[in-house]
Amino acid sequence: MKLMRKIFSADKNVSYGRTIPGGIRPRAHKITSLRSRVMATPIPPVLIIPLNQQQGKASRPCVKAGDRVLKYQKIAEAADDSSLNIHAPSSGVVSMIQNHTTININAANQLCIFIETDGIDEEVPIPDTLDWRGMTSEQLLPVISNAGICGMGGAGFPLSKKIDSAIIPDIHTLIINAVECEPFITADQALIREHADEVIQGAQILQHAINAKRCLLAIESDKTDAIEALSNYADRDSIKLLLLDNKYPAGGERQLIQAATGKELPAGHLPAEAGIYVQNAGTVFSIYKAVVENKPCISRVTTLTGEALQTPKNFNALVGTQVSWLFDLCGIDNKTHSKSVAGGSLMGIELMDNSAPISQSTNCLIAGSLSEFPDIMPEQACIRCGYCANACPSGLLPQQLLAYSRCEEDELLAQQGLFDCIECGACSYVCPSSIPLVQYYRSSKERIISARQKKETSQAWQNRFQYHQYRIKKLKDEALSRTSAKPVIDKQQSADDPFSKEQAALEVAAAVARVKAKKGNVIASSAATDGSQSDGEPTA
Amino acid sequence: MITSSPFQHGKQTVGDIMSLVIIACIPGICISTWHFGYGLILNILLATSSALAFEAACLLMRHRSLLALKDNSALLTAVLLAISIPPGSPWWLVISGSFVAIVMVKHIYGGLGQNPFNPAMVAYVFLLLSFPLDMTSWHLPIALENLTGGSAETDINLASLSPLSWQRLKLSVLAALPFLSTFYENPQSAIGMIDGMAMATPLIEYKMAGNSAILASRDAGQDIFSRQSGTGWELTNLSYLLGGLFLLYKRIISWHIPFSIIATLGVISFLFYAPNSSTVFGTPYLHLLGSATMIGAFFIATDPVSAATGNNAKIVYGIIIGLSIYSIRVWGSYLDSVALAVLFGNFCAPLLDHYFRPRVYGHGKQGNSGSTLRKPLLSLGDKIES
Amino acid sequence: MYPLIETIYVQAAIACFAIFLLLQIMFFLRKYWIHSLEKQYSIVDRINALLPQTQCGRCGYAGCRPYAKAMSLGEQVNKCPPGGESTIVNLSLMLNEHKKTLDPAHGEFLQAAVAVIREEECIGCTKCIQACPVDAILGGTKLMHTVIESECTACDLCIEPCPVDCIDLIQLPPLKPLWQSPGTAERGLSGRSFVGGGSL
Repeated sequence: MKLMRKIFSADKNVSYGRTIPGGIRPRAHKITSLRSRVMATPIPPVLIIPLNQQQGKASRPCVKAGDRVLKYQKIAEAADDSSLNIHAPSSGVVSMIQNHTTININAANQLCIFIETDGIDEEVPIPDTLDWRGMTSEQLLPVISNAGICGMGGAGFPLSKKIDSAIIPDIHTLIINAVECEPFITADQALIREHADEVIQGAQILQHAINAKRCLLAIESDKTDAIEALSNYADRDSIKLLLLDNKYPAGGERQLIQAATGKELPAGHLPAEAGIYVQNAGTVFSIYKAVVENKPCISRVTTLTGEALQTPKNFNALVGTQVSWLFDLCGIDNKTHSKSVAGGSLMGIELMDNSAPISQSTNCLIAGSLSEFPDIMPEQACIRCGYCANACPSGLLPQQLLAYSRCEEDELLAQQGLFDCIECGACSYVCPSSIPLVQYYRSSKERIISARQKKETSQAWQNRFQYHQYRIKKLKDEALSRTSAKPVIDKQQSADDPFSKEQAALEVAAAVARVKAKKGNVIASSAATDGSQSDGEPTA
Repeated sequence: MITSSPFQHGKQTVGDIMSLVIIACIPGICISTWHFGYGLILNILLATSSALAFEAACLLMRHRSLLALKDNSALLTAVLLAISIPPGSPWWLVISGSFVAIVMVKHIYGGLGQNPFNPAMVAYVFLLLSFPLDMTSWHLPIALENLTGGSAETDINLASLSPLSWQRLKLSVLAALPFLSTFYENPQSAIGMIDGMAMATPLIEYKMAGNSAILASRDAGQDIFSRQSGTGWELTNLSYLLGGLFLLYKRIISWHIPFSIIATLGVISFLFYAPNSSTVFGTPYLHLLGSATMIGAFFIATDPVSAATGNNAKIVYGIIIGLSIYSIRVWGSYLDSVALAVLFGNFCAPLLDHYFRPRVYGHGKQGNSGSTLRKPLLSLGDKIES
Repeated sequence: MYPLIETIYVQAAIACFAIFLLLQIMFFLRKYWIHSLEKQYSIVDRINALLPQTQCGRCGYAGCRPYAKAMSLGEQVNKCPPGGESTIVNLSLMLNEHKKTLDPAHGEFLQAAVAVIREEECIGCTKCIQACPVDAILGGTKLMHTVIESECTACDLCIEPCPVDCIDLIQLPPLKPLWQSPGTAERGLSGRSFVGGGSL
């Protein structure tokens, strides 16, 4: 069938990807949110912008409470190349900079800038559009890094750092990831079917920036509306469409590389080292906006879906909008609402607090009911049926990993390939015994990583201790050799010598007396203590 | 602590899988009953009821919830055991078999998913070694019966009776529960009647023939579905094959184990087939369809708990089982060698699992890192990472 | 007696099986051969690798390695507070001892901590620098002293010598893991040698 399609397809710019090993075909739940167009949200009353929206360091705020900020104004500076420049999504007054819960799982309670919007949406003056075709990568990079874009597929890696590390190796293939294989998420599909032109231009900009020889846009073959939009606008010579089979997790970076090129990315290596660069379609759209329209990244297309919502749809939501406000916008039915999930149903994060704001990498919010997310069935014994091994896209044996996770056999876990697991959830999906496999693997990975860190630290301490002993021994040896070689010092001279030992002892005693007098003899002297700690105020 | 993704789950449970396997056995059971009578049904009834009782008792003793009975695993073990032992076996045979299978092989090792050996097959071997005479008496298809003895109650010529008749049912119940013979006027002849119905498995008889009974009856112009033609065993096997293909279609089992067992058996029996030698090897057809091979390949060897994991390991597992089936049948003293062969495969399964792992993405021949040599299974104490 | 053995098939099969067995034995022995090429670590080094290397001396020995050496000669395994429960378990597994609770004479299990010098009160006497076993304090005579946070093992040895008592031991917040293993969550075990069985 595929061969026939290949032979008889009239469009030379459309190719078909290989199928990935393993994988599952879950129920997609995508139809309800695709019924309407992408809508811009009204301006929410409060915007809570997290300072750490991605993997990396938190940004440093450059405004303080009480400042009035305009739309697109920079409110936080990047601390280093792993953090982002953050811009105000709307005009208003900075009310406070405080801790708040966020969706970032590594920094759940972090510092956020609170902006009370005034509804005017006044913008800073935007410079003219740039002619990006005439610019080199070195000139494009500051523009992109100033715009504060991070990967929008869910992982959230800072874009400028990724492009920077990709300029040096020879990139031959740029793959735009519009696969969106996870159930419930339709953000990229909705974006592409309405803004295909901009997405393609953004891809061209990116291709120019990293000097890639060819550009592929990977999309699932059943997203016919998006494919049609792309075919109408696609610049024939620059971008090839790559249609993939509708399998989860074909959109994962490593699986996508395998489907597109047929080769596997070697373990522990980045795609850039293999000459491939993968970027999400939403990020590419932001690149277009940043370079062509000169607007920094302040919003993203987010899917609001779930049975508890009256009108599920895709919104062009501002970064910092609260999840509860978005749910109310869609008309949430609190009686049927049982679970909130940020992300898709297979790799998303459960939200305990709906007041958290969305960040740049939030692609979907699900207000699920009990029928969509039924109660977790109790875990039964593993019957070693092997369905998980059939579903695993990385070629692992999840039932062995489960057995070793339970026994905490760290060496065997590493041997079986625990760190090659992409935590896609396919194994857990098919398990007939309802075993929460991904949770086992995540906790085992955490445990192993912290044990390795502890070991590294103790090794470092041991090395310092050994050096300390060596240094003391060396000093002793030198002292011995000195005392045997030097003549006797004149004792008279030592009293006047400011650096002599006796002088030092005198000064120490004087200082001790001073401090004691100040503290009123509260201090326990070293002779009296037996290991008890001081009761002074700790300094930070 | 938050629960981890995924929040969406497939709908298939362990109970669904086990019940589908039982459903796949039904064609075979029907054809077998039609040929050999009600003994098989009685076997199944006895085995399932005793298995469920033992399972419930074990779960209570292990302080587990009785909801675990919903996973139908005891039911499946009982059905497979009942199919393997001769139909119309005495009740104490069936019940002790299910005791060994459920209590001694499954629960003592830790319950569902923890048994290293196939429970039904260990029970079968236990019965084979403990009660050899009862285990090697199979009911013949009606064409080859050689009944002797009679009494006032058995005046009718039994050979002309269909296996599904009322008298046959009475005889099957008598075979299963021999203490009921006290109700007969002449208990001796009743027992003698039952003994006369039995003989060793058809494998010995057909060893000499070496031909397909189905083809022979077709050549003779007989209807292959009639009971006179002696095609019972082959039709039974074909219906189990049908059930196995149904399981493959439903993706309950993967094709690796059945395919490798059947292929190995076919190739080996073809290689060794020597119609004129003193030792009778038997045709490939005989080995595949004349005995319990199909049940073994599709239902017994594919038991997920005791089989190898990983597709390559499964193929080697199937090869080992196929070779063992053949060797034990031809050169060993047990004709029904599937049970012993599967147990031998279970012995080898952990080693196969270790050495035949699937290749992880990014390691091996296409990736730069990782070697194809496996590290040894056990480490020598603690090692210092240099 | 066995005419079948004379057939070529059976001979070939037996030969294959013999080669297979031989390969298995070679693979098994290879593991020992590899170990002989690696550097042989003494038992003291292997015990030392299990200790946390804080060099605090709470066990009564001057550092972790002397304690490891003592344990190899029969010393009790339950004298290391900074190591926590896991160190006692690992040591008892390695030395084939019964697992014991921590000897109360040597302290209690501690949270991760770090020493901090209150700089306003420091007089620059270098006593703490001399006491620190891992040289984690930076400073000189009559110059400001400060603790390098990443190198401090919280061994407590600098607290005593300070004549003005300006060093505090600050507890670091405990690292709560993000994901709890489902198996241990139900059964309340700390892990270790638990094999399977469902919750049902």
